[in-house]
Amino acid sequence: MDKAKGAGGIARGSSSRHRWRRTLLYVFAILAAFYSFWPVMVMALEGYNIDIGVILAGFAGKSSIVIVGGVPIRISSIIPTAYYYLQALSIEAYPRLVLNTLIVSALTIAIALAAGIPVAYVLARIDVKGKSFIAYLLLGLRTVSQYMVIIPLYIAYSRFGIYDTYVGVALAEQLLVLTVVVWMLRGFFSDIPRDVYEAATVFGKNEWQVFRRVVLPMVLPGVVVTTMFALVLLWNEFLIADTLTGVATRTVAVGVWEGMSVNQLSFNALAWNSLNAAGFLAYVPAITVMLAIRRYLAKGFSLGMAR
Amino acid sequence: MTTEPRGGLRVKESRRWYVLFLPLFAVIGLVAVYPLVMSLYLSLTTANGTPTLANFASMISTPTFFNTLNISLLYSLTSTILAVGLGLGLTFILTQELRGKGALEVIYILPLAVAPIVVGVLYAPSSVWDDVQQFMHFQLHMAYFNELTPSFYFPVMFFSEAWEWAPLIMLVALSIVSSMSKEVYEAADLHGASAYQKFRLLILPTVFTSPVMQFIVVLRFIDAMRAFEIPLAWSNWLGYTSTLGSPVDTISLYLYKLLFSSSLGFPIGMVSAIAVTLFGITLIGAAVLMRLLRTIGG
Repeated sequence: MDKAKGAGGIARGSSSRHRWRRTLLYVFAILAAFYSFWPVMVMALEGYNIDIGVILAGFAGKSSIVIVGGVPIRISSIIPTAYYYLQALSIEAYPRLVLNTLIVSALTIAIALAAGIPVAYVLARIDVKGKSFIAYLLLGLRTVSQYMVIIPLYIAYSRFGIYDTYVGVALAEQLLVLTVVVWMLRGFFSDIPRDVYEAATVFGKNEWQVFRRVVLPMVLPGVVVTTMFALVLLWNEFLIADTLTGVATRTVAVGVWEGMSVNQLSFNALAWNSLNAAGFLAYVPAITVMLAIRRYLAKGFSLGMAR
Repeated sequence: MTTEPRGGLRVKESRRWYVLFLPLFAVIGLVAVYPLVMSLYLSLTTANGTPTLANFASMISTPTFFNTLNISLLYSLTSTILAVGLGLGLTFILTQELRGKGALEVIYILPLAVAPIVVGVLYAPSSVWDDVQQFMHFQLHMAYFNELTPSFYFPVMFFSEAWEWAPLIMLVALSIVSSMSKEVYEAADLHGASAYQKFRLLILPTVFTSPVMQFIVVLRFIDAMRAFEIPLAWSNWLGYTSTLGSPVDTISLYLYKLLFSSSLGFPIGMVSAIAVTLFGITLIGAAVLMRLLRTIGG
């Protein structure tokens, strides 16, 4: 480490070419930052009725032309307002969407954990046959087209009267989270050394006690991370939620789009602002959770392959 | 349970452990195996239950099916390559000696948490591109360009998909880099290798030969093959909301429109036939992933 620093220091002092390169690097880093947050920022600002295009036109002393309903409209000033955010938060629909999403997620994750924890425990505990069979099964589940599941489940749900119920959606969402949950858990369980299991058994604990008293406290942080990761996936999921939820169980991602898809070409330009606000409101919890578990993101998205 | 012999808990009694697999099998049976069998049944029968191959026949005889398959392949391939490129670009920046690297990493992760459907909205003509238009028109004195031509919206769709997932490639690449041995790096420093040389000769080969990276790239490709939200948004911006076989229809979007098309009488059989065909295709992808998984030692 010291050597590397020293070498770097010599190079830094010796050439102006190096300094030029460093400047270029910082320029790239900042450009990449712009590229990353600009679209998100535009969405947040549109929610406040701040249109950057209009500001840019204003710098040039011109008024911006916006096409609303196929008719060009001249806009020369912007009037920032928190109205759209307040509206999104205060009307009944948005809190209900959030509540729906949380209930669906809680049920989905509960099912996935109930199915996943025993398997993860066994796979970490002993060399059991059929490991690769389970791996293949879960990979198949992860890669199958959603329509394979949506249509049969829709038919079955309609027949048994569980269409548009939380349980129905939660079952279908297993397609999205089950593989990730089992794999992440497996990783966390395997991080516990085998010796721990065996020492616990030596001290005369039965299998349930080994799990409950020794293993569970050790993997609890891992279970929390897994839960949070699955939560973000479910929060952002669209296709399954859109086709298998009705008015009673609509989730956030679907609700935001249903509002946004109010046809742009109509005169309803106000909806564009309020639904950008809704989109940003939906983004904030997702990014908060994601940043909280950012050390585990690579692990989660690669099904536990990456460290 | 308490009388378990200490030495014998390895493989001998393993059959008893299979009980713990039952919940998983129950869930998979309910949400995957049953639908799979049912889809097969639906695709091979008519609405009143007589066996037929008509669904597959009408799938093959519809030119839009192959068209959407092509669009999906193009979409998937282009956006995956772009995501890898952008992600490695971000990795390059974060592997340099920089101040404020932590903050930069957080900013670079931001796109990852945007819901795909919202990505479709972010890059809508009236959102980001509106500002680009105004900037180019008023500050750079260029003419307005048309946002609704294929030569514009296809690249934008590919780019927005890549924009969302580039941070993932970056995170995986960084995790691979962090597990590289420090000695190689220090040796390169002693020999006066430049930052670019170190990236090209040390980091890139390690990243590309890593099975973890290959796994995530194949997985990303498969996911992009199922891409639905961004094409849905664009089919809306372009006014193709209920047009079957529009230029932006990927397979998933085509199936969605088919499923809700009242003009074709909700062709569940044909949708199932296509879904079954897709299942066959994704199995190949799953097999590739499985091979990589074995290499990693899962």
